[in-house]
Amino acid sequence: MVGSVHLSVSVPGFSCLGAQSSISTVLLRSDCVLYVRFGVVSFNCPHSLKIFCFSSHALADLPLGGIVDVPLAQTGEGIAECELLKWFVQEGDQIEEFQPICEVQSDKATIEITSRYKGRVAQILYVPGDIVKVGETLLQIVVEEAQVPTLTAVVSDNPSPTDDGFEKAVSLGSDPRKNSIGGVLSTPAVRHLAKQHGVDINDVLGTGKDGRILKEDVLKYAVQKEIVKDPSTSLTAGVEKQFLEGEEDQPSVSSVVGHDYEYEDKTVPLRGFQRAMVKSMSMAAKVPHFHYVDEINCDALMELKASFQDNNSDPDVKHTFLPLLIKSLSMALSKYPSMNSCFNESSLEVVLKGSHNIGIAMATPYGLVVPNIKNVQSLSILEITKELSRLQKMALGNKLDPVDIFGGTITLSNIGAIGGKFGSPLLNLPEVSIIAIGRIQKVPQFGDDGNLYPASIMTVNIGADHRVLDGATVARFCNEWKQFVEKPELLMLHMK
Amino acid sequence: MQRAWVSVKPRGRGGFAMGLPEARKLGIPLMNLVRFKGLPILQQLHLEERLLRTSSDNWCIINDGTDQPTIVMGISGKPAELLEIKSVLCDHIPVIRRFTGGGTVIVDPSTIFVTFICNKDAVPGLQPYPRPIMSWSEQIYNKVFQGIGDFHLRENDYVFGNHKFGGNAQSITKNRWIHHTSFLWDYEVRSMAYLKLPERAPEYRLHCVKEAKQVSWRRNLCDLSSNIKHASWVDFTRYSNQYKARDHLEFICRMKDFMPRSIFVDRSVEATKTHFLLRSTESENIEAHSGTKFCHSTRLLTKQELEAAAFAAPSEGALSQPCSL
Repeated sequence: MVGSVHLSVSVPGFSCLGAQSSISTVLLRSDCVLYVRFGVVSFNCPHSLKIFCFSSHALADLPLGGIVDVPLAQTGEGIAECELLKWFVQEGDQIEEFQPICEVQSDKATIEITSRYKGRVAQILYVPGDIVKVGETLLQIVVEEAQVPTLTAVVSDNPSPTDDGFEKAVSLGSDPRKNSIGGVLSTPAVRHLAKQHGVDINDVLGTGKDGRILKEDVLKYAVQKEIVKDPSTSLTAGVEKQFLEGEEDQPSVSSVVGHDYEYEDKTVPLRGFQRAMVKSMSMAAKVPHFHYVDEINCDALMELKASFQDNNSDPDVKHTFLPLLIKSLSMALSKYPSMNSCFNESSLEVVLKGSHNIGIAMATPYGLVVPNIKNVQSLSILEITKELSRLQKMALGNKLDPVDIFGGTITLSNIGAIGGKFGSPLLNLPEVSIIAIGRIQKVPQFGDDGNLYPASIMTVNIGADHRVLDGATVARFCNEWKQFVEKPELLMLHMK
Repeated sequence: MQRAWVSVKPRGRGGFAMGLPEARKLGIPLMNLVRFKGLPILQQLHLEERLLRTSSDNWCIINDGTDQPTIVMGISGKPAELLEIKSVLCDHIPVIRRFTGGGTVIVDPSTIFVTFICNKDAVPGLQPYPRPIMSWSEQIYNKVFQGIGDFHLRENDYVFGNHKFGGNAQSITKNRWIHHTSFLWDYEVRSMAYLKLPERAPEYRLHCVKEAKQVSWRRNLCDLSSNIKHASWVDFTRYSNQYKARDHLEFICRMKDFMPRSIFVDRSVEATKTHFLLRSTESENIEAHSGTKFCHSTRLLTKQELEAAAFAAPSEGALSQPCSL
């Protein structure tokens, strides 16, 4: 894939070896899923496992046998599978790091997949026309051939010449089924089925294209060898289904309904917003955050909201606190534009965004999503109220437009709507700040006269990118915002 | 090849034409603008593929209409699934399989083509993946259609409201990407009859089509029964295809209803200038850019291939009547 690979770990139970940007080996807890930027590797194995990662740096700990599984990496949000169009390499080829190895198609785009390893192609697992799910192994590469003395690569006869390599045909030699490294042509699902039935896949006669071994071939062989009685058992359907859902463990038999069925593990593949969250939070965890916490007196805010509601003649409009907080936030951003910026790591530049596109984190049945209200600096509180309502409705119906999600410059997370005093939010990259607001709580406070009065207090936690923002800036920004919330009449000073 | 539009080249300091190093110093990536009128779509696609794979410059190609109606399928398009092959063969419509992904379109002299070919770091902060590039293109066209119609990017289509007027396709290589669009300026209803409705439709279309389909199905049956009493089998096919075309029409619209042609092209150029320093280039200069031998994958499907596809497809095979009456 183009671009660098960063391995981010945000799930407890991990220990990472090596530098943050050149991790070669990660030890996983048995029930953990590791999401790798541009790739998905999922596991469900009974023991701690050394996994194979792809890295642009020389590996200190090479996997056993020197064979690396290269999966189809994530090529875009929401893309779960791609069609394999063509291979640029064939088994036995020596390939360089970043060399294009194949082309896939996802929806509207053809995409070249590049190798992250230098090595020799050991085995190609799909043929053009196959649909490959993201995360499935595309091919295997031998990284350190010397470590695998018994390995013999497949060298094809006379690969067809091309001008620049794009038209290389995949030629598997005269008899791929007899390859000594087990280079038979079959999908991982079929290999797993063979393993399940205790069948050596090299002994199976393939009836698919180019001698490809199909599921039926394995079952037929197993029946012939009297390994199974009935090849059409629902066990196989359960195996394939589970495999496609990402489990590589010994599958439980889904067709056998046990008396403890309700206690069985349930695998939930992460899709859509949930999958996007895995990716975005993993990247955000790499950024050095600092959190600034403060309390805001919301007495005036509550009075203002009540006044809006009492004087509201539009039945479709419901006034809440958020639009007031959003507008006052925008006012404060005008004075502290660095809080409304994006950090470009590669060029070490901070882009001070002109528009205040304030994102509002929303918990929906489909997962966490952060649509943003564009150009808040130019909107009235009423317009913000209506736009917020529209976004909430769209989010609940999973009908948000990409435009609504793209282009945010700062995020507000009203976790208090659900509960809690405050949270420690993670940045919504590439933004540099995020604000989590807790529930407004009535607490006793001392007045200037020394007496106790009830006050509606809201705790806020501002998470900021410490590479770009310092504590003083965030503190001053928060004071400015707090002033507008506690004394909303000051907003009128800036009214145009 | 049609002559490209010629404009004055922008001058940098000292009076010399600004090249890539100078543009970089200003922090603006340079982009070559090439304009054609009536360039055959096959030539356009060949040029685009060559520039994507062998050039290291950024390019914007605008083709104001192609020379004749042509069907263009995506890289993995299967004629049997996507086309009414019998009609296509009878009417001798050329069918091209292009090098980018995506769906099938029928283009003609009224179609406007806009293509961006960029290095992966040409647009700062833009990740070279399908979705970000698609969203970036929406930013460009937001400026073009500002204040005109309810323009959106809906999944992968450009729409006014819920009606598509622009289709997109992309190809992303190791260091570069291409995003090209065919804009439905105008279309002939009968042209749509050559295309089958795709099995995979965008979400936004399903809601519109579902209800429309039920209405049109009933209407089709009534119309057909009143028209085909004494018609031949081929006539029946033509009639039924025309009514099938109505399904396509349920979700597309004509761009000419929203904006004059020249205004669209001018605005697109202006919008592109907000991201790039445009340098108009003559088509002859493009040949000089690349001496690398190149084998493109975009090609015209042969009649034999289409006939074989028609034979293999069960529904098409049943309608095995001769083309000439």
